[in-house]
Amino acid sequence: MNDARRLVSVLAALAVVLLALGVAALFVGSAGLSPAAVARALAGRAEASSVEAIVTLSLRLPRVAVAVLAGGALAVAGVGFQALTRNPLAEPSVLGVSSGAAFGVVLAQILGLQAGIVAALGVAVFAFAGALLAASVVYLVATAPGGLAVQTLLLAGVIVGIFFSAAITVIISLVDFNRLSGVIHWLLGNLAPIPAASLALFAALAAGGIWLILTRARELNLLALGEEAASQLGVDAERLKRQVFIAAALLTGTVVAFTGPIGFVGLIVPHVLRGLVGHDNRLLVPTSALAGGAFLLAADTLARNVVAPAELSVGVITAFCGAPFFVWVLRTRSRPA
Amino acid sequence: MIRAAAVLAIFLLASPAHALVVRDMLGRDVSLTAPPARIVSLVPSVTETAFALGGEARLVGVSDFCDWPPAARAKPRVGGMINPSLEAIVALKPDLVVGTDEGNREETFLQLRRLGIPVYVVHARRVAEMYELITRVGELTGRTDAVAPLVGGIRRRIEAVRERVSGLPAPRVLYVLWPDPLLVPGRDSHLTEMIELAGGHSITAAEPVSYVRFSIEAAVARAPEVIVLADHSSGASTAGRAAPEKWQTLTSVPAIRAGRLYSVDLSILHRYGPRVPEGLEILARMIHPEAFK
Repeated sequence: MNDARRLVSVLAALAVVLLALGVAALFVGSAGLSPAAVARALAGRAEASSVEAIVTLSLRLPRVAVAVLAGGALAVAGVGFQALTRNPLAEPSVLGVSSGAAFGVVLAQILGLQAGIVAALGVAVFAFAGALLAASVVYLVATAPGGLAVQTLLLAGVIVGIFFSAAITVIISLVDFNRLSGVIHWLLGNLAPIPAASLALFAALAAGGIWLILTRARELNLLALGEEAASQLGVDAERLKRQVFIAAALLTGTVVAFTGPIGFVGLIVPHVLRGLVGHDNRLLVPTSALAGGAFLLAADTLARNVVAPAELSVGVITAFCGAPFFVWVLRTRSRPA
Repeated sequence: MIRAAAVLAIFLLASPAHALVVRDMLGRDVSLTAPPARIVSLVPSVTETAFALGGEARLVGVSDFCDWPPAARAKPRVGGMINPSLEAIVALKPDLVVGTDEGNREETFLQLRRLGIPVYVVHARRVAEMYELITRVGELTGRTDAVAPLVGGIRRRIEAVRERVSGLPAPRVLYVLWPDPLLVPGRDSHLTEMIELAGGHSITAAEPVSYVRFSIEAAVARAPEVIVLADHSSGASTAGRAAPEKWQTLTSVPAIRAGRLYSVDLSILHRYGPRVPEGLEILARMIHPEAFK
């Protein structure tokens, strides 16, 4: 009961923060709209073809939605990978899973999947396959003899990431040079307003992945006690791990397909939340979904305003936050007992 | 009779909101409600051309890289060529955005079209296509009268260079777009044509794409007699500086022995616009100094 009340109060607080950030993000941008103009557009009292309506409703609003979805999905993917590997540093980009997904996307683009809802689904399928492939390799490399050592897992992730980055480089050096800068730009992780149909697809896939992990949160808590203990408590550990593994890869692949690889959200957000709500995955998953959205939204709002009218890649900002954070967690939390 | 009625029906059904359909340089139809009066240019050479034609009044926004002529810097900026701000573009209420297939991203064009902003894409890799580009920009800016004098002047200056270098032996030229990793122009690059017009022979002319990552060994083996380094540095930034000293150690190369290592301001030579003759004259003086004594 106490847990439920705590969950509700934390979720409510996060929802307020997210909402406030979302509203703030709608009011700032390089078009330099007055707050009154934005409010007019939001209230539906601006003409559909007016600058304020297009900027607010067709550019800022979908971009805010993309940021919230991508941030939430990445943070929950982080929780999933961390529970799965019992390693607080496990996260889509650190594990090389993002690179695998990015390889899938670049491959799909070379095959000519460009725009439209069918193509968006196709790219997402390729990204999911790439994420699954990378995650499987990391898992196989790291588990081979005698259990999952923290460092082995991270090193396996780094190596797989390097491999897929090299594979991407091979592909893009074979394509037209004029597209190179565009691909590099994409690889840095960028949020852009996407059309409604693609946004709906993104939302559905992200919600599916988050739901899969959320419904297994209780079992993941038991898994934290060790596989043997979990099995004795009636958890089918292998099945659980497979499901969470697929869900986390789905979340990673989906985000990469729609935004490009954005790192460290899945590291920072769950870690900060563990300090606030503890290690219970039933609290961690839903709060991460909201806080991840808020974090990426804040990062992206910064990205599109600091060098306006040009834009920074949001992946650059999350990496600037995430890399020092990684070092800090590595030094303080994962010291061998 | 029936056919005439059908034609009339089609004519009446055609949306009057899209009264004007023009075809861009990629052959794509661009629907306009009226001749464009508010144009955003994401292409430095298009911006230069619009100014040269006297059509700059219709330019309401330019990319951060549109720095020539100096007056272009006074136009509102919309961000870089790869990452322009859609917001900044929309806020300028353009009725047309002009982009290029060399330097902008197709995604940007898609996003703009989705917002109902027509996008006109230019394409120029050859001198002949540059004339076409000038003609198109003249049409878009309502300065068709100014096209013939500008094109005529450019033609005359290019012809003058060709006359001076004709009959002279063509030295082997290495053009260095970027030194490290070595990036050179291939068959489809306009620089290869420029080198030929300037009376030289590009040693990388046979490479089957426009820009090639080239091995320094292969470049040395082809014994270039002239080396031209593109200088990317601008203003305070020294990034992409030509750095000729790095080449001085390659003393087996004829160009180095003869002291024929030059650097050229990238923005003059790399833009397909009204400064092409100026770039060509600079290049010809490097390749055939004897012809300009």
